[in-house]
Amino acid sequence: MLNYIWLSLIAIAILTAVGNDIRDESRNTYRNAIPFEAKFNIQKTPVPGRQTWEGELVISPEAFGQFYNIKSEEKEIRQSLSLTLSSASEGVLLLALDGASPAFWRQMAKSATARDRLSGKVRSIEFSEDKSSANVRFVLEPIHFVKLKAITQAALDFANTAVEISIGLIGIMALWLGLIKIAEEAGLVKVLTKILAPITKRVFPDVPPNHPAVGAMIMNIAANMLGLNNAATPMGLKAMKELNKLNPKIGTATNAMVTFLTINTGGLVLIPATAIAVRAASGSANPGIIIGTSIVGATCATVAGVAAARILQRLPKYKKDMEVDRG
Amino acid sequence: MTVGDLFRSIISFISVIAIPAMIIIFLAWGFFKKVKMYEVFVEGAKEGFDTAVRIIPYLVAMLFAIGVFRASGAMDVLTSVLSPVTDLIGMPSEALPMALLRPLSGSGSLGLMTEIMKVHGPDSFLGVLVSTMYGSSETTFYVLAVYFGSVQIKNTRHAVAAGLIADFFGMLGALFICKILFGS
Repeated sequence: MLNYIWLSLIAIAILTAVGNDIRDESRNTYRNAIPFEAKFNIQKTPVPGRQTWEGELVISPEAFGQFYNIKSEEKEIRQSLSLTLSSASEGVLLLALDGASPAFWRQMAKSATARDRLSGKVRSIEFSEDKSSANVRFVLEPIHFVKLKAITQAALDFANTAVEISIGLIGIMALWLGLIKIAEEAGLVKVLTKILAPITKRVFPDVPPNHPAVGAMIMNIAANMLGLNNAATPMGLKAMKELNKLNPKIGTATNAMVTFLTINTGGLVLIPATAIAVRAASGSANPGIIIGTSIVGATCATVAGVAAARILQRLPKYKKDMEVDRG
Repeated sequence: MTVGDLFRSIISFISVIAIPAMIIIFLAWGFFKKVKMYEVFVEGAKEGFDTAVRIIPYLVAMLFAIGVFRASGAMDVLTSVLSPVTDLIGMPSEALPMALLRPLSGSGSLGLMTEIMKVHGPDSFLGVLVSTMYGSSETTFYVLAVYFGSVQIKNTRHAVAAGLIADFFGMLGALFICKILFGS
């Protein structure tokens, strides 16, 4: 099933990206080659030898929204601009984009030559009497294939992210696997498994109740519930390793592995710390209000997941996957 | 002090002392059982590097697919296709992307939650709903890649289906409990 989901994620991504880009081309979403007209407030006049003006463009939100046919910005746009003329009415300009720039332009810049600025050509410029402002007509650099460029970038970025995450695990993995090994040698894990055996026997009938996997799974679930992610992952991976020792068919997930994984993806946490922190940072009067609701939600997820795992494992298709070739 | 506050302070206290307590208990137990602790620790820790490195190909495959999916704008298409269905059960259309993104991407859904709370306020119904949704599930595909990757499982059998059913019910549970407690 994962094969199909994986392939469809990528196939849908490419089709959608191509579709979006074709739509953008036919509608000319980014108004390529259409001149934009705006008022230019000059703050810095040219020094001898270089015909460069600096200042800001002042654009009314309605005009901007109308030009690009989008929902208009909330307030008046003031965009810094530097403009260099090569003749009386021709030249180039550069929009350095920052947090105050229109979101649409920032989005366009992502697939422009430089990611934080847009360049353009001046079509005409008329200075006011006192040379403190001007009316500029300009064409921005053409923007094409925004989505295709975006998925290419995402592919490269996420490949890197995956390696960073994995490498970042090495330290805490080593720490916890070392500590767990001590607990194992000392017989502590066995004590723990014995106490909780009545529960674990029911949830994981395929795993012998005194197997080391049970201890690791219990520690993983406890650490998860307390929100100790740094400890939970190493313990979970340790549990997977122990479960794999019971696996008759290496490379294929056993019933116990799937049930254990579903408990983990259900994500039952007593205190959803990240969500609470974000709520507090956004100025909530009662950030902790979601503790109860999250426990209800995660319990639904965990119970439904474990039940689904137990039912699905009986399907002939999945049973067949587990048969060991003896031929 | 309400019951909720008490519960919260007890749990956060346990969370804070859990790791130091575990380390102390492990070491003390080992000491009394005369385990050669330094040697055993190093022996166990050796596996850390291999395990982390083994995960890399699985995680690259998973994050790459999810990354291009999100970058392509397919999420918007999926949202508009599914919103008539979710309207029927009373899920606000702003919360639908959250439900769809939660199993796929942890950082993505975190960003989305922050964004929605910024726009609608953290104490609005929508703010409470999306943060409950965020807290009601784990990033299924990430857990799947990391856990199965560490033991080189390629045939995941019914794990994806079970994980997605869990997410589906987690999101439904979050929606209904929020509607009952905070809905107007």
